[in-house]
Amino acid sequence: MKYQICIDIGGTFTDCLAACEDGSIRIFKSATTPGEFETGFIDVLKVAAEGFGESPEAFISNIGQIVHGSTVSTNALVERKVARTGVILNRGHKDVLTLREGPRKGAFEWNLDYPAPYVPATLTQTVEGRIDARGNIHVALDEDDARRAVALLLERGVEAIAVGLLWSIANPAHELRLRDIIAEMAPDLPVSLSHIVNPLPREYKRIISTVINASISPVITSYVERLVDRLEASGFKGDLLLANCVGGMMPTADMIRRPIYSVMSGPTLAPMAAMALTEEADVIVGDMGGTTFDVSALRDRQLIITADSMIHNDALGIPKVDVRSIGAGGGSIAYVDAGGMLHVGPHSAGARPGPACFDKGGDQPTVTDANLVLGYIEPAYFLGGRFPLRRDLAERAIAPLADTLGISVAEAAYAIYTTSNHNMVGAIEDITIREGLNPRDSYFVCGGGGTALHIAEMADILGLSRYIIPRFMAGLSAFGGLISDIRWETSRALHTDAKRFRHDDVNALIAMLIGEARDFLNGANVDPANQTFELSFLGRYEYQSWDIEVPFDLPAGGIKPAHIDDLRERFHKIHERIYSIRNNDDLIEFTRWNVRAIGKRPHQDIWRNFKLQAQDGPAQPKGMRKAYVQDKLKGGYIDLPVFELMSLGAGAIVKGPSLIEAETYTAFLPARHDVEVDAYGNLLVDKNRNRGVRK
Amino acid sequence: MNTTKNMAAGQLDPFLMSVLKSRFESIVREMTLVVTKASRSAVIKNAKDLSCAILTYDHRLVTTEDALPIHVTSMDVATRPLTELFDDIKQGDMFVNSSPFTGGTHHADLILSMPVFFDGKPLFWAVALSHHADTGAPEPSTYLPYAKNIYEEGMHWPCVRIAENYKEKQDILRMGMLKNRVPDLWLGDVRAQMGAVRTCEKRLIELCEKYGVDTLQAFVEEWFDYAARRAKAEIGKLPAGEYEYRISHDPVPGVADAGIPINLKIIVDPEAGEITADVRDNIDCVPGGLNLSENTTNGACRIGVFNNLDASLPHCHGSANQIKVLMREGSAIGKPIYPAGTSVATTNVNDRLTTAGNAVFSQMGKPYGQAEGGPHLPVGMAVISGKDPFKEEQVYINQIFVGYAGGGANNGHDGWLTYCGPANGGLITLDSIEVDESMYPFIIESREVRPDSQGYGEFEGAPGVQGAYYPIDHDMTIMYAADATTFPPRGVLGGKDAAPTASQKMLANGQVVDLPAFNQELCKDGEKMMFLSCGGGGYGDPLDRDPARVATSVNAGWLTAEKARDVYKVALNAPDGSGLRSVDEVATRSLRNGPKN
Repeated sequence: MKYQICIDIGGTFTDCLAACEDGSIRIFKSATTPGEFETGFIDVLKVAAEGFGESPEAFISNIGQIVHGSTVSTNALVERKVARTGVILNRGHKDVLTLREGPRKGAFEWNLDYPAPYVPATLTQTVEGRIDARGNIHVALDEDDARRAVALLLERGVEAIAVGLLWSIANPAHELRLRDIIAEMAPDLPVSLSHIVNPLPREYKRIISTVINASISPVITSYVERLVDRLEASGFKGDLLLANCVGGMMPTADMIRRPIYSVMSGPTLAPMAAMALTEEADVIVGDMGGTTFDVSALRDRQLIITADSMIHNDALGIPKVDVRSIGAGGGSIAYVDAGGMLHVGPHSAGARPGPACFDKGGDQPTVTDANLVLGYIEPAYFLGGRFPLRRDLAERAIAPLADTLGISVAEAAYAIYTTSNHNMVGAIEDITIREGLNPRDSYFVCGGGGTALHIAEMADILGLSRYIIPRFMAGLSAFGGLISDIRWETSRALHTDAKRFRHDDVNALIAMLIGEARDFLNGANVDPANQTFELSFLGRYEYQSWDIEVPFDLPAGGIKPAHIDDLRERFHKIHERIYSIRNNDDLIEFTRWNVRAIGKRPHQDIWRNFKLQAQDGPAQPKGMRKAYVQDKLKGGYIDLPVFELMSLGAGAIVKGPSLIEAETYTAFLPARHDVEVDAYGNLLVDKNRNRGVRK
Repeated sequence: MNTTKNMAAGQLDPFLMSVLKSRFESIVREMTLVVTKASRSAVIKNAKDLSCAILTYDHRLVTTEDALPIHVTSMDVATRPLTELFDDIKQGDMFVNSSPFTGGTHHADLILSMPVFFDGKPLFWAVALSHHADTGAPEPSTYLPYAKNIYEEGMHWPCVRIAENYKEKQDILRMGMLKNRVPDLWLGDVRAQMGAVRTCEKRLIELCEKYGVDTLQAFVEEWFDYAARRAKAEIGKLPAGEYEYRISHDPVPGVADAGIPINLKIIVDPEAGEITADVRDNIDCVPGGLNLSENTTNGACRIGVFNNLDASLPHCHGSANQIKVLMREGSAIGKPIYPAGTSVATTNVNDRLTTAGNAVFSQMGKPYGQAEGGPHLPVGMAVISGKDPFKEEQVYINQIFVGYAGGGANNGHDGWLTYCGPANGGLITLDSIEVDESMYPFIIESREVRPDSQGYGEFEGAPGVQGAYYPIDHDMTIMYAADATTFPPRGVLGGKDAAPTASQKMLANGQVVDLPAFNQELCKDGEKMMFLSCGGGGYGDPLDRDPARVATSVNAGWLTAEKARDVYKVALNAPDGSGLRSVDEVATRSLRNGPKN
């Protein structure tokens, strides 16, 4: 098997990263084909085959493994092209999906409509029956009532049913009984139960994820089946793994069982790529594309997980890798408001018409236009020269804004550039502050086509001194897919506290979770020697209502009374790390227990085999270019040396201020941002390198 | 865009404006996060009843982010007494203020302020406000409508130094802990506030180091000018004139038997870009907790105006300064005279005054103004307390946010369902039933939209929320102050009034009894508390409502088909196979063309 492949289907392009047996990696692109994404998938494999000079059949039969990230389910959700889904809730609580936890709005914002619920009232049914917080049956399930509810939903033509009952996580009896009743009445209908999809003790989040899961189940099943058919028809004999939103890959059968884990999965591979690219403990990953800037992070080399991701006005509800997105990209539009304040984004010129310099009819000034005017981008070398840009159009677009502000076009371009950087810094701080990371001590990994033009100033604002511009920055997520683990998480709610700790129940639960996790890895054909299990609990101080995740090691023989102090100490430490407060005397409550299954894949580290030749002599620029450089409060154009990435060998040093150009990106390096090229062609910056204060 | 040229006349580079604006916003966001995440009380953590702000040392509000409107639009009133009362303010000091007699909102909002020094010079105030779960009042609640004066309220902190040289003053904290039903909770929440202001201090010092004090100060002035320009431009679009609105808070027996009338006059001067809110023509303080504080009177008047201006306006000193408030000392709607009761100064009468501000703009005709929205503190937002039978009789006390009132409609939009009350603008988080039930020994039996409780109109008010809850294996004390039971939110410009709030109890024998609107109730084991929150008022004539919107309300279960026919004159077809009802165009046309009633 010659090739390992990652295919990442994005909104515009389907990317293919192919790793060869010697570890070298090549990128191919083809147009995304909405409606039948599998066509674009096969198309890009054909493009790759051509690139390697092989017939499609020969190439595809030589692929050992394909890992695949797609926006199929995200698109289905955004466009609401999902299955007609009914939901069954408790009597007295029909509006769980309408009331939510109070949807977000601005304090003084009244020109808006209250958002409609994900499932309309006509497909929402309630049944008599109630479990309490301790798992006791408070009111028995009325089975006749349940049958009536199911019959009505079936009559109304539902294609899937979600069941979301209060405290099913403490006692699933009523949800399980409903599943049986639905199976009796409609044997083939997909059913999602909330305590299985997302065992979170917070009813809105648990139930919204359950209905989303149910509603995309037919979409994902059908896509995966079509894709597998097309691949087999093309002669594919290897394994197909799908990216999930917990930062890894899973077999297709598992994804069909839990389709919600495919939602927003693509960007979650970026922090996985970061994990492979650096050994640092605290890492920020920023990915700047055409319309958005996505931020994620690693804390102590752990992925940061959140249950707060949103799709439109609804939470996704499941714990997933935290990736925050703001409307800040190359296409973000700059404007001056009625009071004279400059704003950049969140509106974007998108791919069409795009920035003014694209010459596709856009006349609004964008960040890319500013970068062109500032001299950071070479108009003739954008995307390796395949897409020439027009500087005159960029200047023309920025001129009115400069006039309004009473400054020169260059100063206005810099104002756009730095405003956009501050917007992105805001998004970075949003995640670092929330998660207890100090940007000053963190390492930054650049992703996406645009970040290398902006990272230096952002690093200076954040006080961050070390970052990496990876060789495959423009396809960081696809690279993450290529090198990522097989990964999945399983969890259950079990409420207890440090004073009244339920040892036997917790130990039995953990044993069961590990069993599930092992079954998953065995099902994915992971050799037992390559299987690892990470444990964590969610906890809080008494009367707090937001839980934090605390990793721990399971002592041999399970958790005994002597181990509680260790669990408490771990909680205090992480609480202090995130919120800078610890309360030694306070009671700690444990709410949920998680086991993360991690399986190593063969060949996932193959890229490390391919190393650059060592640099021979000092790096030589290919030319000079005038670029705008801001120093404190003054700016102006100066001549900067421009280096070609392909001409740099391992160990090459490039001093700032300078520009480094590659086929898929340009890096702008002001003074003090000196680059060292590593053996894999990544650019490493350490502002403290020459000061001897390296950590 | 013609107002923008003068920007260039400022001293500051344009790029620094957006850069420093985002830096200040980021600091306040970080402060808010520290308080939210580190606090313990449900009222702070879950419902986000907190606000953070930065003011200049001379008490001008620079920035607020994610803050509750009532807390911040007049934060200057709460910090100003500090520089009047202390002549030895030093770096590392922290002060608390919770007294309406020294500029606070009400006794439960503890406003913690820290001066920020750079190079020995005081530059800013870092402020964190949290609504605490308990204040040690005679009754287990922070809302006491019957508390006639300060002597019947919880602890007041009339600008007290609680830290010096970055060290907590243990003697002062001991006082706070001693007079509190949940002292550990209280201390934890105060420390969360301290964490926030220290974070703010650190970040502001970093900004000073990076940009220089002169640049920062130039920014602040430019920022105020910018906000003033924006506010003037918005006010400049309004029709000039004097507009008046009268509204009344419900009767509260023994405090205000006929209710509390509120009279708001606004004078709009588009040329000067200025609005004056005049509340001098109002009654004297009442013998209860319903009097406003100077802080909340100011805040309520400004919120009403801001709600009617473009939402993207910066809400800082520069814009707030374009809204002048005229009030009278000794008035219930003004500045209280010691020892008047102000326990519910952030909700009840304050809600009504803010609502008057929202609605007075409707006197300008369409498209201006908002219909009245519902107020705070129905039984669904009560303060509950008792002894937890599952935790060895440990005492619990906290405010729940289980179900609250709907918002009023405006031109183009129906009311906001999870409105809660005008003082916070729909920002309060609705409690998770499972989180509440895991913390307190009770069952929330139901919580759903209350159909037909909305005020009808071309644009409908939001309906209220109704439901029931009851204690498990113990007796629970419930305190609430359910305004809008007598005077429900009214519609404007032909829109109809909403259904009133109701408070009920189901006895062990199944009988349902009505409860007083302002009350402390013991809910015994076997009994159930029932809340029916009011909806919001309608905007415009119901007969002008798009029939498709009427069908949507019916399909959502918010409006009955009978009301659709009787009120809106819209006939609907029978439900189709999927249960949806569509408009019967022919029948609707004949209904609407028929005689109006």
